Amino acid sequence: MMERWLLIGRIALRNLRRQLRRSLLTASAMVLGVGLLMFVRALEGGAHLMYVDTATRMGTGHVSMEHPDYMGSQDLADRIAARDLALLLEAVATSVPPGELVALFPQVNVGGLAQSATSSVPVRISGVDPALESGVSFFAQQVVEGRYLEPGDRLEAVVGIGVAERLRLELGSRLVLMAAGAQGDLESQLVLVTGIFRTGIPEVDRGVVHLPLPTAREWLELGGDVTSVSVILASDQRTGSVAEAVRGRLTEEGVAGDRLAVRPWWEAMPDLYAGLRADAVQTYIMLLVLLAIVALAVVNSILMAVLNRTREFGVLRALGLNRRAVGAMVLVEGVFLTLASGLVGMLLGLALSMGVFGDGVDISFIFGGELAFAGSVMEPVIQPAVLAGDVVAILTIVIAIGILATLYPAWHATRIEPAEAMKTDE
Amino acid sequence: MSDETQRPHAPAVETRALWKTFGQGETAVHAVHDVSLTIGQGEFVALCGPSGSGKTTLVNLIGGLTDPTRGEVRVDGRDVGAMSEPERAQLRLERIGFVFQAYNLLPVLTAMENAEFPLMLRGVPKDERRKAVSALFREIGLEGLEDRRPGALSGGQQQRVAVARAVLGAPALVLADEPTANLDTQASDALLGIMELLNQERRVTFIFCTHDPRVMRRARRIIRLVDGHVERDAEKESGSLPDWVLEPVGAG
Repeated sequence: MMERWLLIGRIALRNLRRQLRRSLLTASAMVLGVGLLMFVRALEGGAHLMYVDTATRMGTGHVSMEHPDYMGSQDLADRIAARDLALLLEAVATSVPPGELVALFPQVNVGGLAQSATSSVPVRISGVDPALESGVSFFAQQVVEGRYLEPGDRLEAVVGIGVAERLRLELGSRLVLMAAGAQGDLESQLVLVTGIFRTGIPEVDRGVVHLPLPTAREWLELGGDVTSVSVILASDQRTGSVAEAVRGRLTEEGVAGDRLAVRPWWEAMPDLYAGLRADAVQTYIMLLVLLAIVALAVVNSILMAVLNRTREFGVLRALGLNRRAVGAMVLVEGVFLTLASGLVGMLLGLALSMGVFGDGVDISFIFGGELAFAGSVMEPVIQPAVLAGDVVAILTIVIAIGILATLYPAWHATRIEPAEAMKTDE
Repeated sequence: MSDETQRPHAPAVETRALWKTFGQGETAVHAVHDVSLTIGQGEFVALCGPSGSGKTTLVNLIGGLTDPTRGEVRVDGRDVGAMSEPERAQLRLERIGFVFQAYNLLPVLTAMENAEFPLMLRGVPKDERRKAVSALFREIGLEGLEDRRPGALSGGQQQRVAVARAVLGAPALVLADEPTANLDTQASDALLGIMELLNQERRVTFIFCTHDPRVMRRARRIIRLVDGHVERDAEKESGSLPDWVLEPVGAG
C-alpha cells in the first residue's frame, strides 16, 4: 500500500518536472506573491514595533501601573500611595526576568493650565525623574532647542513646540503651571523653559509640559505618592507575561484590584492597539486578495495540466487506479508545487526583510517627515521585523492555497472516465 | 457461424443482451445493440467491422471502462455492471490488461516502470516484479531498454512495453484496441508474434479491435460487428482469412 502512494507521489513530482516551464511560471507567481506578503508584513511589523516602542517610551511603558480609576478620572485623588509604590517596585523587581528590565519610572501626570505673560493653554503636566528616564525617554531625544531635564533640576521645564509657539515662549521664559492639587485646591508653580521638544504628534507638541518629579510632588502636595509607574522592557514579547507576573505578585500582597491596576500597553493605550490591529487586518486583506489572484493562477495552471492529460488519467484509471488515487496524484502535484514555491517565497521575503533591506527602508519620499498614528509616531526609516506570528500565518496561508487551489483540478481528474484511454487523436 | 457449445474453456467473457446507447429520444445512437457473446479462456479473438460499428464501445464495456445501458457483462464469471467503481478498478488491475492504439505509456516513467506499473499497484515486491519484467523484456526483445523513457523508444518498442504492461500481472484477459494501427509491417508482425506466443504459452485471452488483416489472419475467431450488433462470429484456422471479413457491409 505504501509503495502505491510512493508511486503516485513519484509520478506527480515527475509530472511537475515534465512541465518545467509551466511549473516554473506557476511557482514564480507564488514566490513573488508570498515573498511580497512576507516583506510587506515585515515592514508593517517593523513600523508597528516602532509605534509601540515610541508610545511606551513616551511614558506609558510596556507595562503601566496606576490606581484602577485613574485612567478614567485623571484625578489626583486616584493615585498610588507611597506605601503601595514601595510594594509595587518590589513586585516588579522580583517579577521581571534578569536583563529584561530597561527602566522603571514613577510619574505624576495631571491636567492643568500653562500660562505665560501673553496667553494660556490647557496642558498635560508630567512630573518625571530624569535620572530614571535618562536614555529611554522619547522626549529627551526630540528636544529641538535647549536641553531635556537633568538630575538636579528643580524649576526647569521642557515644553512642546506647539505650547512654546502659542505662549510665545523662548528658552529661559517664565511659565506658570496651574492644576488642582492633592487637597483639591488650585495650585500654581512657576517654572523656566529650559528645552523645547518636537515629537511630530500635534496633540503632544501642543499640550505637554515636563518638569522634575520632586517639584511636581511638592507643588501638588503629593508627598511620596505618584499617579503612575511605567516599566520599559527589553522586548515587547515579554509584556504580557511580565504584566501577569506583577499582577499576580500584587494580588498576593493584597493591593491589586482595588488599589492598583497593572496593564500591558495594549490595555493602557487601547486606541493605539486597535489602530495597529486594524492596520494589520487591512494589510492582510489586501495581500489575501493578491494571493487569491495568485491562487487562481495556480488553479488555472493545475487545471490546464489535468485537461492536457485527460487521456493519461484515463489510462491510469483503465490500468486499475481508482478515483481517489487519481485525485491524490493531482493533489500531491498541486500542493507540492505551491508549498515548495511558497517556502521559497517566504525565504525571498526573509532575504528582503533581513538582507537586502536589513538596514531599513526610508519611506520619507512618500510621507515626508514623521508619521503620527493613534497618538504615537514613527521614524521615516522602517526597520523590517519578521514576527513569529506572521511566519505561522503566512505558512498557514500557503498550505491553504495549495490545498484549495488544487481541490477543483483534483476533483476534475477524479471525474475523468477510464474510457478516455481508448480515445485517439484521429 | 461458430458453435459456442464446442468451445472447451470456461468463459473469460460473457455478454448477455448488451446495449450501449448514447443520447436520448430521436438523437439516440445504439453503439452496441443486443450483443450476446461468450469468449472462452485462452481464445485469440479479432473484433472487426467498419469504423463506427461499435468495436471500441464493446471493448470498453467488457473492460468495465464504461457502463452498459442494458444487459450484462461478465469477466471471469463476475458481473462487471454490478460492481462499485473501486471494485471495477480492482478487477481491471488484477484480471484485465489493456493495449491501446496510441500505446499510452506514462511519459514520466521508464520502460521498466511502465511495464511493472500494475504490479506496483498490486503491491508485488520490487525484486519479484523486476525479475518478471526482465524475463519478459528478454523474451520480447526489449532487453537493454529498461531505463528509457517512452519518448526515447520507437513505436514498435513502445507497443511492446504496453503489451508487457498488459500481460505481466497474469490477467485473464487482454483487450487490445487497434494495437498495430500505428506500426509498420515489421513491427506489427513482431508484436503479433509476441502476443500469439503469450496466448499460447500463458493461455492469456486476447480480444483485438482491428481493421488490420494481419491481425485477423492470426486470430482463431473473428467477430464482425455492424451497426453495433454481431453480424458474423466464426472460428477459423490461424493464418487464414475468410472472404466475408473483407466484404462490404451487408454483403454477408
